[in-house]
Amino acid sequence: MKPVDTSRLRELLLKCEKPSRYTGGEYGAPRAEWGAFNFCACFPDLYEVGMSNIGIKIVAQSFLKRGMCADFCFAPAKDFGSGLKELGVPLYSLSLKAPLSDFDMLGFSLQYELCYTNMLYMLDLAGIPLTREERRGGRYPLIVAGGPCAVNPEPLADFVDIFFIGDGESADADVAEAYVRHGGATEAFYREIGAMDGVYVPALTTPVYGDGGKIEWFEGIARVKKALIEDLDGAIYPDKFAVPNCESVHDRAVIEVMRGCYRGCRFCQAGFIYRPVRKRGIDTLTAQACALIKNTGYDEVSLNSLSTGDYGRLAELLKSLKGSLPPEVTLALPSLRADSFEGQFAQDSRKTSLTFAPEAGTQRLRDVINKDITEEEILKAAKSAFNAGYSAVKLYFMLGLPTETDDDLAGICEICEKIKLLYSSEKRQKSLRISVSVATFVPKPFTPFQWECQADEEQVKHKQDFLIKHLPRGVKLSWSAYYPSLLEAVLARGDRRLGKVIRRAYENGCTFDGWDNFFYEDGWRNAFDECGICAEQYVRERGEDELLPWDFIDICVDKKFLLAERKRAYGGKVTGSCLTGCKGCGMQGVCPAARGER
Amino acid sequence: MIAFRYTKTDGAEYISHLDLLRHIDRTLRRAGIEVNYSQGFNKHPRIFMGNPLALGVRSVSEYCTIDCGFSGDFKEAFDGHSPDGVKCLAWKAVQNNPNFAQSIKACRYETEGLNSFDPEEILYQKEITLTDMRGRTLDIRPRICGIERTEGRLAFTLCCGENNLRPDLFCNFLSEKFGGAPTYIMKTASFGDSVF
Repeated sequence: MKPVDTSRLRELLLKCEKPSRYTGGEYGAPRAEWGAFNFCACFPDLYEVGMSNIGIKIVAQSFLKRGMCADFCFAPAKDFGSGLKELGVPLYSLSLKAPLSDFDMLGFSLQYELCYTNMLYMLDLAGIPLTREERRGGRYPLIVAGGPCAVNPEPLADFVDIFFIGDGESADADVAEAYVRHGGATEAFYREIGAMDGVYVPALTTPVYGDGGKIEWFEGIARVKKALIEDLDGAIYPDKFAVPNCESVHDRAVIEVMRGCYRGCRFCQAGFIYRPVRKRGIDTLTAQACALIKNTGYDEVSLNSLSTGDYGRLAELLKSLKGSLPPEVTLALPSLRADSFEGQFAQDSRKTSLTFAPEAGTQRLRDVINKDITEEEILKAAKSAFNAGYSAVKLYFMLGLPTETDDDLAGICEICEKIKLLYSSEKRQKSLRISVSVATFVPKPFTPFQWECQADEEQVKHKQDFLIKHLPRGVKLSWSAYYPSLLEAVLARGDRRLGKVIRRAYENGCTFDGWDNFFYEDGWRNAFDECGICAEQYVRERGEDELLPWDFIDICVDKKFLLAERKRAYGGKVTGSCLTGCKGCGMQGVCPAARGER
Repeated sequence: MIAFRYTKTDGAEYISHLDLLRHIDRTLRRAGIEVNYSQGFNKHPRIFMGNPLALGVRSVSEYCTIDCGFSGDFKEAFDGHSPDGVKCLAWKAVQNNPNFAQSIKACRYETEGLNSFDPEEILYQKEITLTDMRGRTLDIRPRICGIERTEGRLAFTLCCGENNLRPDLFCNFLSEKFGGAPTYIMKTASFGDSVF
């Protein structure tokens, strides 16, 4: 177990962008030491993205707490990655500077589909064979993966030994303990962990395809239940963060106020897979925020959740935080819904821009997607923001939602008109800036829209052109390119046969697919052609009686409930928040809100 | 006010100047040292750094002043809360800001790995022009204050501040002229009225 010789990297470090991504030594980073079990959290994106992720910190903490070793590694930018390859230095962890192949387990965090090639990129740089098949019989670390994308693990099943489905606070470290007990990844080890909640071993499950490429049944273990932490107050949370060497995307302390969301917007995967909503108490959150500020020196605490405005005692929480934190520390509340503002705007001279996500242009379509928000609420929130000195609005919409027509697009234009009118109805110092950002709708597993087809290139082009033509003057429009959204949709609802396409795309030079400037469309197009797989077949409408590639995963939300929600969507019926009464999604047994907690 | 000398070694030499400023700010906050803020529209902590050090150059002679009312053992407080490689070497309380960015006139560096040469070969020349990183031609001779060779190490002193000459640029020049490549460059001393 020898660290890599970093003195050999001097010239490379001087040549590449932001070398401090690769040197470690961050204040607050755990001092890794080899132990009985050695884990390295691998994040398949750049240092400054990964250092902002709270999930990998929680998982690392779960290993440290049990006296095991936990280190970190991030995907190096292409300049550093190719430099390492030229020098023959394997990809190494940040604290121990150890080659990744020296660890017992490499844990990849899958935050979005377009990072899949980066996982192969990191394995390749580490000198580890990419597939389970190639690694069989060799002495390699266990390659494991978790995070939201793991709810449909199949596209990566060729590469990953173990997937973790659901909450990561204990399953990962439980598996590590079993590994130590069995003296390695023996057959008995796999049998034992295959029975645990939240653990999926692809080697123990084989999808059997029928004619036409549809799955007929799953051979082997045909049901994997997600891991669930019921009590967040008692759950592991790091009391210190490594403070990144160079500025990261979210360079601040983060507390997780709640997990899950009451709203159930029908397109939103997070709204279903993180059910039920679990909250942390005010005392826990205040103690965590104070510890983090003291241990990091940050001057900002972010209150994270899918919808912080739904935290029942938000005002009380804010009061407790303000009363306990040093006075110069500011609080950030991302993910506030427009209806939860109530005119409470921080009078901060630096903040000028406000972001709304109405997602759809008309009330009809917002009812279809169960986005329980009215135009009136948006305009009301915008008005109080303008009165507080805000002069810029960002609006997020989706294109290609089920049942969408040109009328809904015209609705987007109307909202912009109304906001303009609202702003100019009073005399204001600055001129208004409105920017509209439209993304292509991607149907995701475990949502009521998991059966939907994705809009094709021609339709998307038409919708984008419509907006370009009809949006009021002065509104800045940005849209997402078609092909990356198609690819996201393919990978999100893909099956095991996509493994060879992902591998071929990587071999064709695709990495950092989530970055517009690095996206290499031909690399992917060729990969599909070369593997004889048609990308479009994955974005077709799925039959309601069809066995879906992720159906063996039990996310604990009833498929029947999802189907009923789909029907309500087509009927234009709003289901609304769980706080207005339990909707019976199937998690009533473990749901605090179903028991009446607010 | 407290003026202090600190290191930038052990990997910290790859941290950019702007990031380093952020790290010092956070180190002070973690240490419970309350820095006074500037008055004005955009308030910022009154931390006054010396001139930026080129990325990848190590140093045991960085200087910084902070406006604060701290009265304990500064070194102990700072070192207990700073990132690896950024450690206090000496400190003193001062009445006025020594303005290290202007008062330091020259710095001494050492390096290894360049091929051996006679320093006089450089020092005898009246003019040495080269192109800097922004593509400007520049006579660097007046900015070279001295060169010595001791036990395989090369030590040299270059002007700093207004007539700055980057040590990495100078080493590149030597490397092209005499061969070899530096395995490290380290700032070992600073010269000016205010240093200690």
